[in-house]
Amino acid sequence: MIERRRFLTSATAAAAVLAAPPLIRRANAQSVLDIAAVYSLSGTFANVGSALNDGSKWAVEAYGSAGGNKLNYVLLDDRGDAGEAVRKVQEVMTQHGIKHVVGCTNSAIGLAVQKEVHARGGIYVNEAGADEITGKDCNRSSFRWPVACYSAVNSTVRPLIDKFPQAKRWYTITGQYVFGDSLLSNCKQVFQEKGIQHVGNSYHSLSDREYSGYIATALSAAPDVLAVCNFGNQTVDVIRQAVSYGMKRNTKILAVWSTGLDQYQALGPENCDGVYFGCNFWHGVDSPGGRRVAEIVKQKTGDVPNYLHACGYAVAQVLIEGINKAGSTDVPKIIGALEGLSYEGPTGTETVRPQDHQVLKDYYLMLGKAKGAMKDKNDFADVVAATKAFLPPDKTGCTMG
Amino acid sequence: MSTQLLLFQVLNGLGIGMIYFLLSVGLTLIFGLMRFVNFAHGAFYLAAAYIAYAISLAFGSIWWALLIGPLAIAALALVIERLLLRHTYAMPHEAQILITFAVALLFQEIVILIFDPLAKSVPVPASLSGIVFLGPYVYPAYRLAVVAAAAVIAVVLWLVVERTKFGAMLRAGSENAEMVGLLGINVDRVFMAAFALGGALAGLAGVLAAPLRGAEPFMSTEALGIAFVVVVVGGLGTLTGALVGGLLIGLVQSIMSTLWPEAAQLMIYAAMALVLLVRPAGLFGRF
Repeated sequence: MIERRRFLTSATAAAAVLAAPPLIRRANAQSVLDIAAVYSLSGTFANVGSALNDGSKWAVEAYGSAGGNKLNYVLLDDRGDAGEAVRKVQEVMTQHGIKHVVGCTNSAIGLAVQKEVHARGGIYVNEAGADEITGKDCNRSSFRWPVACYSAVNSTVRPLIDKFPQAKRWYTITGQYVFGDSLLSNCKQVFQEKGIQHVGNSYHSLSDREYSGYIATALSAAPDVLAVCNFGNQTVDVIRQAVSYGMKRNTKILAVWSTGLDQYQALGPENCDGVYFGCNFWHGVDSPGGRRVAEIVKQKTGDVPNYLHACGYAVAQVLIEGINKAGSTDVPKIIGALEGLSYEGPTGTETVRPQDHQVLKDYYLMLGKAKGAMKDKNDFADVVAATKAFLPPDKTGCTMG
Repeated sequence: MSTQLLLFQVLNGLGIGMIYFLLSVGLTLIFGLMRFVNFAHGAFYLAAAYIAYAISLAFGSIWWALLIGPLAIAALALVIERLLLRHTYAMPHEAQILITFAVALLFQEIVILIFDPLAKSVPVPASLSGIVFLGPYVYPAYRLAVVAAAAVIAVVLWLVVERTKFGAMLRAGSENAEMVGLLGINVDRVFMAAFALGGALAGLAGVLAAPLRGAEPFMSTEALGIAFVVVVVGGLGTLTGALVGGLLIGLVQSIMSTLWPEAAQLMIYAAMALVLLVRPAGLFGRF
C-alpha cells in the first residue's frame, strides 16, 4: 500500500514537473492579436500601396503590443482590386477570426472593405480620401485618418482663389474613379460659391499614363488655373506633362491632393517649382508625434518620412491607441474608446470626431520651390497654409448606419 | 472641337505615335524574325529607365545613358537569351510567355530591392528642357527630340533589315531557318544578334522615355501593354506595321482625349479590335 501510495505521489509529482514548463510559459505569454492590413502590392497604385504597407508594418513593430497583446501584422495583398480586397478580408475574418483591419490603397477599395468589415463585426481604420467614407457610407466600425476630399479642396482651392482673385478661369483634369469624382464635385461647389468660371474638365481613366491630349485640350481653354484631381503616379504624370507643355508660363497648377515628398522626388525640383500641392503630411512640420514617426522611418530608411509612410503609420497608430485606451481587443470597446480620442499623431495633436469617425487634423497647401532655394535634398516645398476644414457633422450625411 | 485644337491633337498624336513606335519596334523585331513572344521586353525598357536614372544622378544628365543604356540592355538580353531563352524557342508560345513574364517579374523585384518602389525623377537634359513654338502651337523640345530620334531609328532599321546582308539573313532566317542553316549561315548566331538588337531598342526606348514619365518599378507592364497593341494593330513582325500602328494609336488617343476624354484609353483597344475585325493579321501582317 505504502509503495503504491508512494508510487502515486511520485507519479503525480513527476507529471506536475513535466507539465509545469508549458503551463508557466502559457501564464507568462501574451496572447497574440492579429492586425490585418489591406494594401495593393501590384497594379496601378502598387508603389503607393507598398509604401503605405511599410508605414503600417513599422507602426505595429514599433508599438509591439496593444492592450496587453503581442501584435502580429498580417498583410493582405489586394493587387489593386476591390473585389480581391473584399475576398481576402472575408477569408481572414471568417477563417482566422481577425477583427482588426487597417489600410487601403484607394477609395474604391476602402469603401468596399469598410462595408465588409462592418458587416462582420470588425473595426477598420483606413486612409481613403473619398467623402463617402465618413459621409453617406460611414459606419460604426470605420475610422479615417487623412482628410476627406471636401477638406482637401477647401484647404487648397479656396486659399488659392483668395490669393489670386484675378484667376477666374479654372480647368480640371480628373481621374474617373470614386476619389477623383469626389475631388471634382467639391471643386465645383467652391467654384460656384466663389464665382469661378469652370472652363472645362477632362476625365482620364485609371489606366491612363499619357496625358498630353488632355493637356492640349486644357491649353486650348486658356485657363488661369489647372486643378489636378487625381491620385498617385497619375498626379505626377499630369503635372510633369503639363509643365513640359509650358503650362506654367500662363497658368497656375494645383494638385489638389498629393502624397507630398515622394511625389516631389518623382517630379524633381524643375517640375515642382511654382506648382501648388495639397498634402496631408509634411516632414518639415514639427510635432511630438511627427518626431516619433521621423525616428522610426530614419531607422528603417535612413531618410525623412514621406506622406505614405506617415499615413500607413497613422492608420495603425489610431487602431493601437484605441486598443490601448480600451485596454481590450473587444471591438465595441475600442470603438467607444476611439470616439473623441486625442493623441499625438504625425501632424500634431489629432482628434477622432465621434459623429463620423473622421480624424481632425491639418491639411497643407504647399508651394514647390526652385532647386536653388532648397536647403536640403528634401526641401522641395514651403507650407503656404495649414487648415482644418471639415464639413460640420450634420452636413456629412453620415448616419452611422 | 475647333480646327486649331484638332490640328494640335493631330500633331500631338503623331508625337505620341512615334514614342509608341519606339516602344514596340524591338518587340515586333524579335517576334517577326524569331517568332518569339518576348514578355520581358517591358523589363528591358524598365531596366534602361533605371540606368538613365542612375546615370542622371551620377552625371546630372542622361546623355551618357543614351549610349550605355542600350548597350547594357543588349548585353543583358544576350546573356538571358543564351542562358535561358534559346532553350525555349522550340516550346509553344504559352511557355515562352510564362518564362519571359517570370523574367519581367524578376527585373521588377530587383529594381525594388536596389532602389525602392517609389517613382524617380529623371530630368530632361538642360538643352532640351524648354518648349518650341510650331506656328500657333507649343510643343516640348524634349518630346520633339524623341520624335526625331524615333524617326531616325525607323529609317536606320528599315535600311538594316532591307538593305544589308545581315538584314537579308534575318529575313531569310525568319522565313525558313532550316534552309538558311543549310546554306552555311549560323542561324543561332543571327537570332542571338536579333535578340540583342531588340533588347537594345527596348533599352533606347527606356532611356528616352525616362525624362518623359520618370522611372518606377511598374512601368514595364504599361509599356508592354501599349507595345502589344501597336504590334497587333500594325501586324506582327513588320517594321512598317509598328510605325503605322504606333501613329494610328497615338492619333486615336490624342484626338479622343478631346472628343471623348473618358474613353480615350478605351478607344485604343476599340481601334485595335476594329483593325482586327477588318484585317485579322493587322494592317501590314501576313496571313
